[in-house]
Amino acid sequence: MDPAEVEFLAEKEEISVVPNFTQDKIYLIGGDVGPFNAGLPVKVPLWMAINLKQGQKCRIIPPDWMDTERLQDKKQEETDSKFFTEMPSPHFMEITQLLLKCATDDIPHADEIRTLVKDIWDLRIAKLRSSIDTFLKSDATHAKLNYLTLMELNTARPFLTKALDQMHLLRSNLSGRIQSTQE
Amino acid sequence: MTSESVDDYFSISDILTTQERLPCKVELPIYRLGYLDSSSTSDDLQPGTKLDLSFWMARALCSRKRHIVSVEMPRPYREGYREILTADANVVDLHKLGPYYYSYGSQLLKFELPETADVAKSLIKCFQTRIRKIMDSSQNAYNEDTTKLTAKLDETEKCLFKAGQMGLNDFQRWETRQTEKLTTSEMVRSHRKRKRALMDDS
Amino acid sequence: MLAEKALELIAELQRTIDSTLGPYNEDTARHVLEEMKALFEQNQKDVSATVAGENGLFSGVQLRHAALERNKRCLLAYIYNRLQHIKRMRWEFGSVLPSDVKLNLGEQEVQWFGKYNKLLANYMRSIGDHGGLDLTQDLKPPKTLFIEVRCLMDHGEFETQDGNIVLLKKNSQHFLLRSECEHLIRQGVLEHIVHG
Repeated sequence: MDPAEVEFLAEKEEISVVPNFTQDKIYLIGGDVGPFNAGLPVKVPLWMAINLKQGQKCRIIPPDWMDTERLQDKKQEETDSKFFTEMPSPHFMEITQLLLKCATDDIPHADEIRTLVKDIWDLRIAKLRSSIDTFLKSDATHAKLNYLTLMELNTARPFLTKALDQMHLLRSNLSGRIQSTQE
Repeated sequence: MTSESVDDYFSISDILTTQERLPCKVELPIYRLGYLDSSSTSDDLQPGTKLDLSFWMARALCSRKRHIVSVEMPRPYREGYREILTADANVVDLHKLGPYYYSYGSQLLKFELPETADVAKSLIKCFQTRIRKIMDSSQNAYNEDTTKLTAKLDETEKCLFKAGQMGLNDFQRWETRQTEKLTTSEMVRSHRKRKRALMDDS
Repeated sequence: MLAEKALELIAELQRTIDSTLGPYNEDTARHVLEEMKALFEQNQKDVSATVAGENGLFSGVQLRHAALERNKRCLLAYIYNRLQHIKRMRWEFGSVLPSDVKLNLGEQEVQWFGKYNKLLANYMRSIGDHGGLDLTQDLKPPKTLFIEVRCLMDHGEFETQDGNIVLLKKNSQHFLLRSECEHLIRQGVLEHIVHG
Protein backbone atom coordinates (compact mmCIF):
# COMPACT_ATOMS: atom_id res chain seq x y z
CA MET A 1 0.00 0.00 0.00
CA ASP A 2 1.24 3.46 -0.74
CA PRO A 3 1.36 5.83 2.26
CA ALA A 4 -0.79 8.19 0.16
CA GLU A 5 -3.54 5.58 0.33
CA VAL A 6 -3.16 5.26 4.09
CA GLU A 7 -3.47 9.02 4.28
CA PHE A 8 -6.60 8.84 2.14
CA LEU A 9 -8.17 6.53 4.72
CA ALA A 10 -7.11 8.87 7.52
CA GLU A 11 -8.84 11.75 5.78
CA LYS A 12 -12.17 10.11 6.57
CA GLU A 13 -11.64 10.68 10.31
CA GLU A 14 -13.85 13.37 11.77
CA ILE A 15 -12.56 16.60 13.17
CA SER A 16 -14.19 19.74 14.57
CA VAL A 17 -14.00 23.04 12.78
CA VAL A 18 -15.49 26.46 13.36
CA PRO A 19 -16.81 27.69 10.02
CA ASN A 20 -17.06 31.39 9.19
CA PHE A 21 -20.03 30.86 6.88
CA THR A 22 -23.53 29.49 7.10
CA GLN A 23 -24.86 26.74 4.90
CA ASP A 24 -27.47 23.97 4.98
CA LYS A 25 -26.60 20.36 5.40
CA ILE A 26 -24.86 18.87 2.38
CA TYR A 27 -25.42 15.31 1.26
CA LEU A 28 -22.35 13.36 0.13
CA ILE A 29 -21.73 9.71 -0.79
CA GLY A 30 -19.73 9.34 2.39
CA GLY A 31 -22.52 10.75 4.57
CA ASP A 32 -24.22 14.01 5.40
CA VAL A 33 -22.20 16.96 6.62
CA GLY A 34 -23.38 20.13 8.32
CA PRO A 35 -25.41 22.24 8.68
CA PHE A 36 -22.81 24.96 9.01
CA ASN A 37 -23.44 27.93 11.26
CA ALA A 38 -20.85 30.67 11.29
CA GLY A 39 -19.00 30.61 14.63
CA LEU A 40 -20.43 27.26 15.80
CA PRO A 41 -18.22 24.17 15.90
CA VAL A 42 -19.24 21.34 13.57
CA LYS A 43 -17.76 17.92 12.86
CA VAL A 44 -16.55 17.30 9.32
CA PRO A 45 -14.27 14.74 7.65
CA LEU A 46 -10.61 15.70 7.78
CA TRP A 47 -10.35 16.13 4.01
CA MET A 48 -13.12 18.69 4.09
CA ALA A 49 -11.63 20.47 7.07
CA ILE A 50 -8.37 20.87 5.18
CA ASN A 51 -10.15 22.09 2.08
CA LEU A 52 -12.14 24.67 4.04
CA LYS A 53 -9.05 25.76 5.91
CA GLN A 54 -7.12 26.24 2.68
CA GLY A 55 -9.96 28.41 1.42
CA GLN A 56 -9.91 30.33 4.71
CA LYS A 57 -13.47 29.24 5.42
CA CYS A 58 -12.89 27.84 8.88
CA ARG A 59 -10.72 27.53 11.97
CA ILE A 60 -9.68 24.02 12.95
CA ILE A 61 -10.12 22.78 16.52
CA PRO A 62 -7.24 20.41 17.13
CA PRO A 63 -8.22 16.96 18.50
CA ASP A 64 -8.00 16.62 22.31
CA TRP A 65 -4.86 14.56 22.15
CA MET A 66 -2.97 17.08 20.07
CA ASP A 67 -1.72 18.75 23.20
CA THR A 68 1.83 18.90 24.54
CA GLU A 69 0.95 17.62 28.00
CA ARG A 70 -1.12 14.70 26.74
CA LEU A 71 1.59 13.78 24.26
CA GLN A 72 4.34 14.03 26.89
CA ASP A 73 2.40 11.52 28.99
CA LYS A 74 1.84 9.31 26.00
CA LYS A 75 5.53 9.37 25.15
CA GLN A 76 6.41 8.41 28.73
CA GLU A 77 3.89 5.59 28.69
CA GLU A 78 5.28 4.31 25.40
CA THR A 79 8.84 4.46 26.77
CA ASP A 80 7.93 2.60 29.95
CA SER A 81 5.91 -0.11 28.31
CA LYS A 82 7.42 -3.19 26.78
CA PHE A 83 4.42 -3.48 24.50
CA PHE A 84 2.75 -1.07 22.13
CA THR A 85 0.37 1.24 23.93
CA GLU A 86 -2.92 2.37 22.50
CA MET A 87 -2.66 5.54 20.45
CA PRO A 88 -5.24 8.30 20.89
CA SER A 89 -6.12 7.93 17.22
CA PRO A 90 -5.45 5.05 14.83
CA HIS A 91 -4.24 7.70 12.40
CA PHE A 92 -2.27 9.90 14.81
CA MET A 93 0.67 10.21 12.44
CA GLU A 94 -1.31 11.18 9.34
CA ILE A 95 -3.59 13.60 11.20
CA THR A 96 -0.61 15.33 12.78
CA GLN A 97 1.16 15.58 9.46
CA LEU A 98 -1.86 17.01 7.64
CA LEU A 99 -2.91 19.48 10.30
CA LEU A 100 0.58 20.74 10.92
CA LYS A 101 0.93 21.38 7.25
CA CYS A 102 -2.16 23.51 6.70
CA ALA A 103 -3.27 24.75 10.11
CA THR A 104 -0.25 25.56 12.26
CA ASP A 105 -1.92 28.83 13.29
CA ASP A 106 -4.79 26.88 14.85
CA ILE A 107 -2.58 24.53 16.84
CA PRO A 108 -0.82 25.79 19.95
CA HIS A 109 2.83 24.71 20.30
CA ALA A 110 2.82 23.20 16.83
CA ASP A 111 6.58 22.64 16.72
CA GLU A 112 6.64 20.89 20.06
CA ILE A 113 3.78 18.68 18.96
CA ARG A 114 5.56 17.78 15.76
CA THR A 115 8.64 16.70 17.74
CA LEU A 116 6.65 14.74 20.32
CA VAL A 117 4.66 12.82 17.72
CA LYS A 118 7.84 12.04 15.82
CA ASP A 119 9.47 10.82 19.05
CA ILE A 120 6.55 8.54 19.77
CA TRP A 121 6.68 7.26 16.20
CA ASP A 122 10.42 6.54 16.47
CA LEU A 123 9.96 4.74 19.78
CA ARG A 124 7.28 2.56 18.29
CA ILE A 125 9.18 1.79 15.10
CA ALA A 126 12.22 0.72 17.14
CA LYS A 127 9.92 -1.51 19.17
CA LEU A 128 8.42 -2.90 16.01
CA ARG A 129 11.84 -3.78 14.63
CA SER A 130 12.84 -5.57 17.83
CA SER A 131 9.64 -7.56 17.88
CA ILE A 132 10.05 -8.52 14.24
CA ASP A 133 13.55 -9.75 15.05
CA THR A 134 12.41 -11.68 18.12
CA PHE A 135 9.58 -13.20 16.16
CA LEU A 136 11.81 -14.33 13.30
CA LYS A 137 14.36 -15.79 15.67
CA SER A 138 11.77 -17.70 17.67
CA ASP A 139 10.16 -20.82 16.36
CA ALA A 140 6.73 -19.28 16.70
CA THR A 141 4.45 -19.41 13.69
CA HIS A 142 2.25 -16.53 14.74
CA ALA A 143 2.46 -13.48 16.96
CA LYS A 144 -0.06 -11.05 18.33
CA LEU A 145 0.65 -7.36 18.36
CA ASN A 146 -1.95 -4.96 19.67
CA TYR A 147 -2.40 -1.28 18.94
CA LEU A 148 -0.21 -1.02 15.88
CA THR A 149 -1.50 1.63 13.51
CA LEU A 150 -2.01 1.15 9.79
CA MET A 151 0.83 3.49 8.85
CA GLU A 152 3.24 1.59 11.09
CA LEU A 153 2.20 -1.75 9.68
CA ASN A 154 2.49 -0.35 6.21
CA THR A 155 6.10 0.70 6.76
CA ALA A 156 7.11 -2.74 7.97
CA ARG A 157 5.00 -4.75 5.55
CA PRO A 158 7.32 -5.16 2.53
CA PHE A 159 10.19 -6.42 4.66
CA LEU A 160 8.18 -8.47 7.12
CA THR A 161 6.12 -10.41 4.60
CA LYS A 162 9.19 -11.27 2.51
CA ALA A 163 11.17 -12.32 5.58
CA LEU A 164 8.32 -14.54 6.78
CA ASP A 165 8.02 -16.11 3.33
CA GLN A 166 11.68 -16.94 3.41
CA MET A 167 11.43 -18.38 6.93
CA HIS A 168 8.54 -20.51 5.78
CA LEU A 169 10.56 -21.85 2.85
CA LEU A 170 13.55 -22.67 5.01
CA ARG A 171 11.32 -24.30 7.62
CA SER A 172 9.48 -26.42 5.09
CA ASN A 173 12.88 -27.71 3.98
CA LEU A 174 13.16 -29.25 7.37
CA SER A 175 9.67 -30.64 7.61
CA GLY A 176 9.80 -31.84 4.01
CA ARG A 177 12.77 -33.94 4.93
CA ILE A 178 11.20 -35.33 8.05
CA GLN A 179 8.25 -36.43 5.99
CA SER A 180 10.39 -38.10 3.40
CA THR A 181 12.32 -40.11 5.96
CA GLN A 182 9.03 -41.36 7.28
CA GLU A 183 7.85 -42.57 3.91
CA MET B 1 10.10 -34.97 -12.70
CA THR B 2 10.88 -32.84 -9.72
CA SER B 3 7.89 -30.95 -8.46
CA GLU B 4 8.23 -27.26 -9.15
CA SER B 5 5.66 -24.74 -8.18
CA VAL B 6 4.22 -22.70 -11.03
CA ASP B 7 5.76 -19.55 -9.57
CA ASP B 8 9.27 -20.88 -9.80
CA TYR B 9 9.04 -22.17 -13.36
CA PHE B 10 9.45 -18.76 -14.97
CA SER B 11 11.63 -17.35 -12.22
CA ILE B 12 14.93 -15.97 -13.46
CA SER B 13 16.63 -16.42 -10.11
CA ASP B 14 15.38 -19.97 -9.79
CA ILE B 15 16.79 -20.83 -13.21
CA LEU B 16 20.13 -19.26 -12.29
CA THR B 17 20.09 -21.09 -8.96
CA THR B 18 19.64 -24.47 -10.61
CA GLN B 19 22.52 -23.65 -12.97
CA GLU B 20 25.03 -23.77 -10.08
CA ARG B 21 27.38 -26.71 -10.26
CA LEU B 22 28.20 -29.49 -7.85
CA PRO B 23 30.73 -32.35 -7.77
CA CYS B 24 29.41 -35.54 -9.34
CA LYS B 25 30.75 -39.02 -10.03
CA VAL B 26 29.51 -41.04 -12.98
CA GLU B 27 28.13 -44.43 -11.88
CA LEU B 28 26.69 -45.79 -15.15
CA PRO B 29 28.12 -45.16 -18.63
CA ILE B 30 26.51 -42.26 -20.48
CA TYR B 31 27.04 -42.80 -24.19
CA ARG B 32 27.84 -40.09 -26.72
CA LEU B 33 27.88 -37.31 -24.12
CA GLY B 34 31.59 -37.48 -23.37
CA TYR B 35 32.00 -33.83 -24.33
CA LEU B 36 30.45 -32.82 -21.03
CA ASP B 37 33.77 -33.71 -19.43
CA SER B 38 36.20 -31.17 -20.82
CA SER B 39 39.22 -33.04 -19.41
CA SER B 40 38.58 -36.11 -21.54
CA THR B 41 38.41 -36.80 -25.25
CA SER B 42 36.33 -39.93 -24.94
CA ASP B 43 32.99 -40.13 -26.73
CA ASP B 44 31.31 -41.47 -23.65
CA LEU B 45 31.21 -40.64 -19.97
CA GLN B 46 32.70 -43.67 -18.24
CA PRO B 47 31.83 -44.85 -14.70
CA GLY B 48 34.24 -43.41 -12.18
CA THR B 49 34.62 -40.11 -14.03
CA LYS B 50 34.46 -37.13 -11.68
CA LEU B 51 33.11 -33.84 -12.97
CA ASP B 52 31.09 -30.84 -11.93
CA LEU B 53 27.58 -30.75 -13.31
CA SER B 54 24.87 -28.13 -13.13
CA PHE B 55 22.22 -28.87 -10.55
CA TRP B 56 19.51 -29.45 -13.14
CA MET B 57 21.61 -32.09 -14.89
CA ALA B 58 22.70 -33.78 -11.70
CA ARG B 59 19.11 -33.86 -10.54
CA ALA B 60 18.01 -35.65 -13.70
CA LEU B 61 20.69 -38.28 -13.17
CA CYS B 62 20.53 -38.73 -9.45
CA SER B 63 17.32 -39.31 -7.56
CA ARG B 64 15.68 -42.05 -5.53
CA LYS B 65 14.81 -43.83 -8.75
CA ARG B 66 18.02 -43.21 -10.65
CA HIS B 67 21.68 -43.47 -9.76
CA ILE B 68 23.37 -42.64 -13.02
CA VAL B 69 25.66 -40.27 -11.12
CA SER B 70 26.30 -39.79 -7.42
CA VAL B 71 26.64 -36.31 -5.96
CA GLU B 72 28.44 -34.61 -3.12
CA MET B 73 27.53 -31.51 -1.13
CA PRO B 74 29.34 -28.49 -2.58
CA ARG B 75 31.95 -27.14 -0.25
CA PRO B 76 30.12 -24.04 1.08
CA TYR B 77 27.48 -26.35 2.58
CA ARG B 78 29.89 -28.84 4.15
CA GLU B 79 30.69 -29.06 7.80
CA GLY B 80 33.68 -26.74 7.77
CA TYR B 81 31.66 -23.86 6.41
CA ARG B 82 28.67 -24.69 8.54
CA GLU B 83 30.90 -24.33 11.59
CA ILE B 84 32.05 -20.90 10.46
CA LEU B 85 28.42 -19.88 10.06
CA THR B 86 27.58 -21.16 13.51
CA ALA B 87 30.47 -19.19 15.00
CA ASP B 88 29.31 -15.85 13.59
CA ALA B 89 27.07 -15.83 10.58
CA ASN B 90 27.03 -12.03 10.56
CA VAL B 91 30.58 -11.62 9.29
CA VAL B 92 30.40 -14.20 6.50
CA ASP B 93 30.38 -13.05 2.88
CA LEU B 94 27.38 -15.09 1.72
CA HIS B 95 27.52 -13.57 -1.72
CA LYS B 96 30.90 -15.17 -2.19
CA LEU B 97 29.76 -18.54 -0.86
CA GLY B 98 27.14 -18.58 -3.58
CA PRO B 99 25.03 -15.74 -4.78
CA TYR B 100 21.97 -17.94 -4.19
CA TYR B 101 23.12 -19.44 -0.90
CA TYR B 102 19.71 -20.17 0.60
CA SER B 103 17.80 -21.21 -2.48
CA TYR B 104 20.63 -23.37 -3.82
CA GLY B 105 21.06 -24.91 -0.38
CA SER B 106 17.35 -25.69 -0.32
CA GLN B 107 17.55 -27.32 -3.74
CA LEU B 108 20.51 -29.46 -2.71
CA LEU B 109 18.46 -31.03 0.07
CA LYS B 110 16.50 -32.90 -2.60
CA PHE B 111 19.44 -35.29 -3.03
CA GLU B 112 18.87 -36.57 0.51
CA LEU B 113 22.54 -36.82 1.30
CA PRO B 114 23.48 -37.86 4.86
CA GLU B 115 24.11 -34.25 5.96
CA THR B 116 20.78 -32.96 4.63
CA ALA B 117 19.17 -32.32 8.01
CA ASP B 118 22.23 -30.45 9.25
CA VAL B 119 22.33 -28.26 6.16
CA ALA B 120 18.62 -27.46 6.46
CA LYS B 121 19.08 -26.44 10.08
CA SER B 122 22.19 -24.44 9.29
CA LEU B 123 20.30 -22.46 6.63
CA ILE B 124 17.55 -21.45 9.06
CA LYS B 125 20.00 -20.57 11.82
CA CYS B 126 22.11 -18.52 9.44
CA PHE B 127 19.09 -16.60 8.17
CA GLN B 128 17.79 -15.95 11.67
CA THR B 129 21.16 -14.65 12.82
CA ARG B 130 21.67 -12.30 9.90
CA ILE B 131 18.17 -10.90 9.57
CA ARG B 132 18.49 -8.19 12.24
CA LYS B 133 21.50 -6.62 10.64
CA ILE B 134 19.86 -6.65 7.23
CA MET B 135 16.69 -5.08 8.59
CA ASP B 136 18.53 -2.39 10.52
CA SER B 137 20.88 -1.46 7.72
CA SER B 138 17.98 -1.27 5.26
CA GLN B 139 16.17 1.09 7.63
CA ASN B 140 19.08 3.38 8.34
CA ALA B 141 20.13 4.03 4.79
CA TYR B 142 17.95 6.65 3.25
CA ASN B 143 19.21 8.10 -0.03
CA GLU B 144 22.61 6.56 0.44
CA ASP B 145 24.78 4.43 -1.75
CA THR B 146 23.85 0.94 -0.57
CA THR B 147 26.27 -1.17 -2.59
CA LYS B 148 28.60 -1.47 0.38
CA LEU B 149 25.81 -2.55 2.69
CA THR B 150 24.64 -5.29 0.37
CA ALA B 151 27.99 -6.56 -0.93
CA LYS B 152 28.08 -9.52 1.44
CA LEU B 153 24.43 -10.48 1.12
CA ASP B 154 23.16 -13.40 -0.91
CA GLU B 155 20.42 -12.72 -3.50
CA THR B 156 17.53 -13.54 -1.17
CA GLU B 157 18.94 -11.21 1.43
CA LYS B 158 19.43 -8.48 -1.14
CA CYS B 159 15.79 -8.82 -2.04
CA LEU B 160 14.88 -8.40 1.62
CA PHE B 161 17.13 -5.39 1.93
CA LYS B 162 15.37 -3.83 -1.04
CA ALA B 163 11.98 -4.51 0.53
CA GLY B 164 13.11 -2.83 3.73
CA GLN B 165 14.34 0.15 1.75
CA MET B 166 11.06 0.37 -0.07
CA GLY B 167 9.10 0.55 3.18
CA LEU B 168 11.39 3.26 4.45
CA ASN B 169 11.57 5.27 1.22
CA ASP B 170 7.82 5.27 0.71
CA PHE B 171 7.32 6.52 4.23
CA GLN B 172 9.99 9.19 4.00
CA ARG B 173 8.58 10.42 0.72
CA TRP B 174 5.20 10.69 2.36
CA GLU B 175 6.62 12.46 5.41
CA THR B 176 8.30 15.08 3.26
CA ARG B 177 5.11 15.45 1.20
CA GLN B 178 6.71 14.23 -2.02
CA THR B 179 3.90 11.73 -2.58
CA GLU B 180 1.54 14.56 -3.39
CA LYS B 181 3.48 15.44 -6.48
CA LEU B 182 2.61 13.59 -9.66
CA THR B 183 5.78 12.44 -11.35
CA THR B 184 7.09 11.10 -14.61
CA SER B 185 6.83 7.32 -14.72
CA GLU B 186 10.00 5.37 -13.95
CA MET B 187 10.26 3.73 -17.36
CA VAL B 188 9.84 7.02 -19.19
CA ARG B 189 12.52 8.59 -17.03
CA SER B 190 15.10 5.86 -17.58
CA HIS B 191 14.27 5.75 -21.27
CA ARG B 192 14.96 9.51 -21.56
CA LYS B 193 18.18 9.17 -19.63
CA ARG B 194 19.43 6.42 -21.88
CA LYS B 195 18.51 8.36 -24.99
CA ARG B 196 20.31 11.43 -23.74
CA ALA B 197 23.39 9.35 -22.92
CA LEU B 198 23.34 7.93 -26.42
CA MET B 199 23.13 11.39 -27.91
CA ASP B 200 26.00 12.63 -25.77
CA ASP B 201 28.14 9.72 -26.91
CA SER B 202 27.66 10.29 -30.59
CA MET C 1 27.66 -27.67 -22.70
CA LEU C 2 23.98 -28.51 -22.88
CA ALA C 3 21.38 -25.74 -22.81
CA GLU C 4 24.09 -23.10 -22.73
CA LYS C 5 22.56 -20.86 -25.37
CA ALA C 6 19.28 -20.93 -23.50
CA LEU C 7 21.04 -19.71 -20.40
CA GLU C 8 22.36 -16.74 -22.37
CA LEU C 9 18.76 -15.64 -22.79
CA ILE C 10 18.20 -15.83 -19.05
CA ALA C 11 21.42 -13.93 -18.34
CA GLU C 12 20.21 -11.27 -20.76
CA LEU C 13 16.92 -10.98 -18.87
CA GLN C 14 18.78 -10.71 -15.59
CA ARG C 15 20.92 -7.86 -16.94
CA THR C 16 17.97 -5.83 -18.16
CA ILE C 17 15.66 -6.61 -15.27
CA ASP C 18 15.50 -3.05 -13.95
CA SER C 19 16.14 -1.15 -17.13
CA THR C 20 14.76 -0.89 -20.62
CA LEU C 21 13.83 -3.97 -22.55
CA GLY C 22 16.60 -5.12 -24.89
CA PRO C 23 15.99 -6.27 -28.48
CA TYR C 24 14.22 -9.60 -28.84
CA ASN C 25 17.02 -12.09 -29.33
CA GLU C 26 15.71 -14.04 -32.27
CA ASP C 27 19.10 -15.48 -33.16
CA THR C 28 19.77 -17.13 -29.86
CA ALA C 29 16.20 -18.33 -29.59
CA ARG C 30 16.63 -20.04 -32.97
CA HIS C 31 19.89 -21.63 -31.82
CA VAL C 32 18.10 -23.03 -28.81
CA LEU C 33 15.36 -24.51 -30.98
CA GLU C 34 18.00 -26.08 -33.23
CA GLU C 35 19.71 -27.63 -30.23
CA MET C 36 16.38 -28.97 -29.05
CA LYS C 37 15.73 -30.49 -32.42
CA ALA C 38 19.11 -32.23 -32.41
CA LEU C 39 18.57 -33.53 -28.88
CA PHE C 40 15.15 -34.82 -29.78
CA GLU C 41 16.39 -36.61 -32.88
CA GLN C 42 19.29 -38.23 -31.04
CA ASN C 43 16.90 -39.42 -28.37
CA GLN C 44 14.55 -40.88 -30.94
CA LYS C 45 17.46 -42.73 -32.49
CA ASP C 46 18.54 -44.11 -29.13
CA VAL C 47 15.02 -45.15 -28.25
CA SER C 48 14.64 -47.03 -31.55
CA ALA C 49 17.99 -48.69 -30.95
CA THR C 50 16.87 -49.71 -27.46
CA VAL C 51 13.67 -51.16 -28.83
CA ALA C 52 15.81 -53.08 -31.33
CA GLY C 53 17.72 -54.60 -28.41
CA GLU C 54 20.69 -52.34 -27.72
CA ASN C 55 21.48 -51.81 -24.02
CA GLY C 56 22.70 -49.00 -21.80
CA LEU C 57 21.43 -46.02 -23.79
CA PHE C 58 18.99 -44.96 -21.12
CA SER C 59 21.40 -42.67 -19.23
CA GLY C 60 22.04 -40.56 -22.30
CA VAL C 61 18.35 -40.39 -23.16
CA GLN C 62 17.62 -39.26 -19.65
CA LEU C 63 20.20 -36.50 -19.73
CA ARG C 64 19.14 -35.25 -23.15
CA HIS C 65 15.57 -35.26 -22.05
CA ALA C 66 16.52 -33.11 -19.07
CA ALA C 67 18.33 -30.76 -21.45
CA LEU C 68 15.23 -30.53 -23.62
CA GLU C 69 13.13 -29.61 -20.59
CA ARG C 70 15.74 -27.12 -19.50
CA ASN C 71 15.85 -25.45 -22.91
CA LYS C 72 12.09 -25.27 -22.97
CA ARG C 73 11.98 -23.73 -19.52
CA CYS C 74 14.56 -21.07 -20.41
CA LEU C 75 12.80 -20.17 -23.66
CA LEU C 76 9.41 -19.91 -21.97
CA ALA C 77 10.85 -17.91 -19.09
CA TYR C 78 12.48 -15.57 -21.61
CA ILE C 79 9.22 -14.95 -23.41
CA TYR C 80 7.15 -14.78 -20.24
CA ASN C 81 9.35 -12.28 -18.43
CA ARG C 82 9.53 -10.09 -21.51
CA LEU C 83 5.76 -10.09 -21.75
CA GLN C 84 5.51 -9.03 -18.13
CA HIS C 85 7.83 -6.15 -18.94
CA ILE C 86 5.82 -5.22 -22.03
CA LYS C 87 2.63 -5.26 -20.00
CA ARG C 88 4.19 -2.84 -17.51
CA MET C 89 5.19 -0.60 -20.41
CA ARG C 90 1.51 -0.15 -21.31
CA TRP C 91 0.97 1.36 -17.86
CA GLU C 92 4.09 3.48 -17.84
CA PHE C 93 4.43 4.75 -21.41
CA GLY C 94 0.76 4.66 -22.31
CA SER C 95 -0.93 3.11 -25.34
CA VAL C 96 1.74 4.32 -27.80
CA LEU C 97 5.30 3.16 -27.27
CA PRO C 98 8.28 5.36 -28.21
CA SER C 99 9.54 4.19 -31.59
CA ASP C 100 12.97 3.07 -30.38
CA VAL C 101 11.36 1.00 -27.61
CA LYS C 102 8.96 -0.57 -30.07
CA LEU C 103 11.88 -1.46 -32.32
CA ASN C 104 13.15 -3.81 -29.63
CA LEU C 105 10.00 -5.92 -29.65
CA GLY C 106 9.69 -9.05 -31.72
CA GLU C 107 6.89 -9.28 -34.26
CA GLN C 108 4.70 -11.39 -32.00
CA GLU C 109 5.45 -9.13 -29.07
CA VAL C 110 4.18 -6.13 -31.02
CA GLN C 111 1.02 -8.07 -31.77
CA TRP C 112 0.66 -9.03 -28.12
CA PHE C 113 1.06 -5.43 -27.02
CA GLY C 114 -1.64 -4.38 -29.47
CA LYS C 115 -4.02 -7.05 -28.20
CA TYR C 116 -3.35 -6.21 -24.57
CA ASN C 117 -3.93 -2.57 -25.36
CA LYS C 118 -7.27 -3.36 -26.94
CA LEU C 119 -8.39 -5.63 -24.12
CA LEU C 120 -7.52 -3.03 -21.53
CA ALA C 121 -9.28 -0.28 -23.48
CA ASN C 122 -12.41 -2.39 -23.95
CA TYR C 123 -12.46 -3.27 -20.29
CA MET C 124 -12.02 0.33 -19.18
CA ARG C 125 -14.83 1.38 -21.51
CA SER C 126 -17.14 -1.26 -20.09
CA ILE C 127 -16.84 -0.23 -16.43
CA GLY C 128 -17.99 2.96 -14.75
CA ASP C 129 -21.32 4.55 -15.52
CA HIS C 130 -20.89 6.50 -18.70
CA GLY C 131 -17.88 6.66 -20.92
CA GLY C 132 -16.01 4.09 -18.82
CA LEU C 133 -13.28 4.51 -16.27
CA ASP C 134 -9.62 5.18 -17.00
CA LEU C 135 -7.76 2.83 -14.68
CA THR C 136 -4.37 4.20 -15.63
CA GLN C 137 -5.30 7.48 -13.98
CA ASP C 138 -5.38 8.57 -10.33
CA LEU C 139 -2.90 5.91 -9.34
CA LYS C 140 -2.76 7.75 -6.03
CA PRO C 141 -5.75 9.36 -4.32
CA PRO C 142 -6.21 12.77 -5.98
CA LYS C 143 -6.25 15.82 -3.72
CA THR C 144 -7.54 18.55 -5.99
CA LEU C 145 -9.40 18.88 -9.26
CA PHE C 146 -7.00 21.36 -10.80
CA ILE C 147 -3.23 21.38 -10.64
CA GLU C 148 -0.46 23.69 -11.67
CA VAL C 149 1.99 22.38 -14.25
CA ARG C 150 5.10 23.51 -16.09
CA CYS C 151 5.99 22.34 -19.59
CA LEU C 152 9.26 20.46 -19.80
CA MET C 153 9.25 20.46 -23.59
CA ASP C 154 7.39 21.92 -26.55
CA HIS C 155 4.32 19.80 -27.04
CA GLY C 156 2.17 21.92 -29.34
CA GLU C 157 -1.47 22.77 -28.87
CA PHE C 158 -3.66 21.03 -26.36
CA GLU C 159 -7.41 21.22 -26.36
CA THR C 160 -9.05 21.11 -22.95
CA GLN C 161 -12.43 19.52 -22.27
CA ASP C 162 -14.16 22.89 -22.23
CA GLY C 163 -12.85 23.68 -25.68
CA ASN C 164 -10.00 26.04 -24.83
CA ILE C 165 -6.73 25.70 -26.68
CA VAL C 166 -3.62 25.82 -24.57
CA LEU C 167 -0.20 26.10 -26.15
CA LEU C 168 2.18 23.79 -24.33
CA LYS C 169 5.47 25.57 -24.87
CA LYS C 170 8.64 24.76 -22.99
CA ASN C 171 8.78 26.45 -19.55
CA SER C 172 5.24 27.83 -19.82
CA GLN C 173 3.00 27.29 -16.80
CA HIS C 174 -0.66 26.27 -16.80
CA PHE C 175 -3.51 25.54 -14.47
CA LEU C 176 -5.24 22.41 -15.80
CA LEU C 177 -7.76 19.77 -14.84
CA ARG C 178 -5.81 17.04 -13.13
CA SER C 179 -7.62 14.32 -15.05
CA GLU C 180 -6.66 15.96 -18.35
CA CYS C 181 -2.99 16.32 -17.77
CA GLU C 182 -1.98 13.41 -15.53
CA HIS C 183 -0.93 11.35 -18.54
CA LEU C 184 1.24 14.16 -19.84
CA ILE C 185 2.96 14.32 -16.47
CA ARG C 186 3.54 10.56 -16.44
CA GLN C 187 5.02 10.85 -19.92
CA GLY C 188 7.36 13.59 -18.85
CA VAL C 189 5.85 16.39 -20.95
CA LEU C 190 4.64 18.36 -17.95
CA GLU C 191 5.94 18.79 -14.44
CA HIS C 192 3.54 19.00 -11.52
CA ILE C 193 4.21 22.06 -9.38
CA VAL C 194 3.40 21.64 -5.70
CA HIS C 195 3.52 24.60 -3.39
CA GLY C 196 5.06 23.69 -0.06
